[in-house]
Amino acid sequence: MIASIKAEWRKNRFRPAFLVSTGLIAGIVVLFYSAEWYQAAHPGGPREAVSILTLFPDQFVNNVMGAGFPLGAAMALVLGALIAGSEYSWGTLKTVFTQRPGRLSTLFGRVVVFQAWMGIMTLIIFAVGAGYSVVIASVQGHSISWPAAVDVAKGMGAIWLILAVNGSLGIALGALFRQSAAALGVGLIYVTVLQIIVVRFITSFNGGTYKWIADWFDGQNASALLQSFTSPAFGRSTPPAIGAEQAVLVLVAYLAFFLIASAALLRQRDVT
Amino acid sequence: MENTTVIETNGLTKRYGNGVLAVDSVEMSVRRGEVYGFLGPNGAGKTTTLRMLVGLIRPTSGMATVAGHAPGDPAGLAKIGSLVEAPGFYPYLSGRENLKVVADFAGIGHKRVPEVLDIVELTSRAGRKFGTYSTGMKQRLGVAAALLKDPELLILDEPTNGLDPQGMAEMRKLIKDIGQGNRTVLLSSHLLAEVEQICDRVGVISGGKLVTQSTVQELLGEEGVLVRAQPADRAYELLTGMFGPAAVSRQDGSIRLKTDPAGSVEINSRLVAAGIGVSELRPIERSLEEAFFQLTGEKQGS
Repeated sequence: MIASIKAEWRKNRFRPAFLVSTGLIAGIVVLFYSAEWYQAAHPGGPREAVSILTLFPDQFVNNVMGAGFPLGAAMALVLGALIAGSEYSWGTLKTVFTQRPGRLSTLFGRVVVFQAWMGIMTLIIFAVGAGYSVVIASVQGHSISWPAAVDVAKGMGAIWLILAVNGSLGIALGALFRQSAAALGVGLIYVTVLQIIVVRFITSFNGGTYKWIADWFDGQNASALLQSFTSPAFGRSTPPAIGAEQAVLVLVAYLAFFLIASAALLRQRDVT
Repeated sequence: MENTTVIETNGLTKRYGNGVLAVDSVEMSVRRGEVYGFLGPNGAGKTTTLRMLVGLIRPTSGMATVAGHAPGDPAGLAKIGSLVEAPGFYPYLSGRENLKVVADFAGIGHKRVPEVLDIVELTSRAGRKFGTYSTGMKQRLGVAAALLKDPELLILDEPTNGLDPQGMAEMRKLIKDIGQGNRTVLLSSHLLAEVEQICDRVGVISGGKLVTQSTVQELLGEEGVLVRAQPADRAYELLTGMFGPAAVSRQDGSIRLKTDPAGSVEINSRLVAAGIGVSELRPIERSLEEAFFQLTGEKQGS
């Protein structure tokens, strides 16, 4: 297994898709902060006024949580679909499978390195958010205070979990379709469109009788987990319908399911 | 006692989900130290068989033992180097980095990487990205990767595919060199000249069935001499007296002798001395191509 992790890290550490996605998500955090800062400095526009207080370092965890879903999730899904699907289109899966490690060891190494990359992306999101909030506070002449370490850790854990779940969905779809293109298409449609439509339908059907079904969708739980970080400084006080603990448990269950499905597909199917 | 059989299959069969019977009860035996040619037309089942031997696909029925283990067993894979169909590498990594990745997966160090690059004469281009390689360079890198583990069994599936004539000649020489000593090479090809030049024994597969397995010499058949002479009856009589009736036959106006072609001078002298005019006297050589077409039931030139 160590050999697989070593090999997967060697091949993925400079993989353009990972480098570009990490840069992209960092850029999105910068863009988000810039837009909010502008909005706070120029009130009176069509959008609701943004309080500058929400952009200071003590609130940065709440701000960067928005990068987790659906944008971060979609990005993780793309990366998962690429890391699994391109092995088929490049013919590298047969090269890997004819070396020493077994199929499950190979998958284990891939998942470990992929999830480590999701961790790196999470760190980048938090580092960029913290850095930009410091810049804003410094420019505004506001003192710098940080959120509690436990809140930072919880926030990072939540973002990582959301990226990990959606990345694993991409890996499972890549293994299912044995290519990246179909996995990307189906996965993105599911995360960004299909799930939302289905949830809306279920929620509104028969006066909301079946809303409990909608509460088991991964997107619903990801959103609820992110919303659980919103502080009163943002002016919203309604708690999410799904509790953070349940959301974590449901997402962990999805993560396990996607990884088990990937393992079953890789172990059982022929490599043609 | 050391096991002399490196690959042994017993009723190896693969039927795909769409009902296509790709490989049908193949009984194959590859001995240690030989270069075994696996011949067959396109679509005959060569690649499917090789994929089963390295554990990429599972047989529908039958068994195989490869390097003392079941196909796909990590302990067996540690002794096998393979290039099955087109070489598959990461296009954004250099040739050298790709080999390091393969070495990591194989659980071996990177010490062999420069060595194998040197063997396939790719050292000067090892720093270039795989995606920029020509077909020939890709094939060479595939062979280099197959050699990384210094394997006791090398499985190569049409390694000269896509190479220019010079590249093909170099690759054949390379395979011949690799096959020296105790290493076993299983070479799949549809190029008959290639197999004839390189291999000690051949297995011919057609329509998923292994139709024969023998040495190249056995496949080519017995040596002989063809004679055209006038008067033909007197020539036949004389040659029957020389070699015995069992070694002489008549066919299409010619006389065929089952004898060493080295004796052609003596045959010519005896015929001429007897006043018989000889218009043609040559060794009979059945090419591997003829043998192949006869075995596979395909038509030459079709």
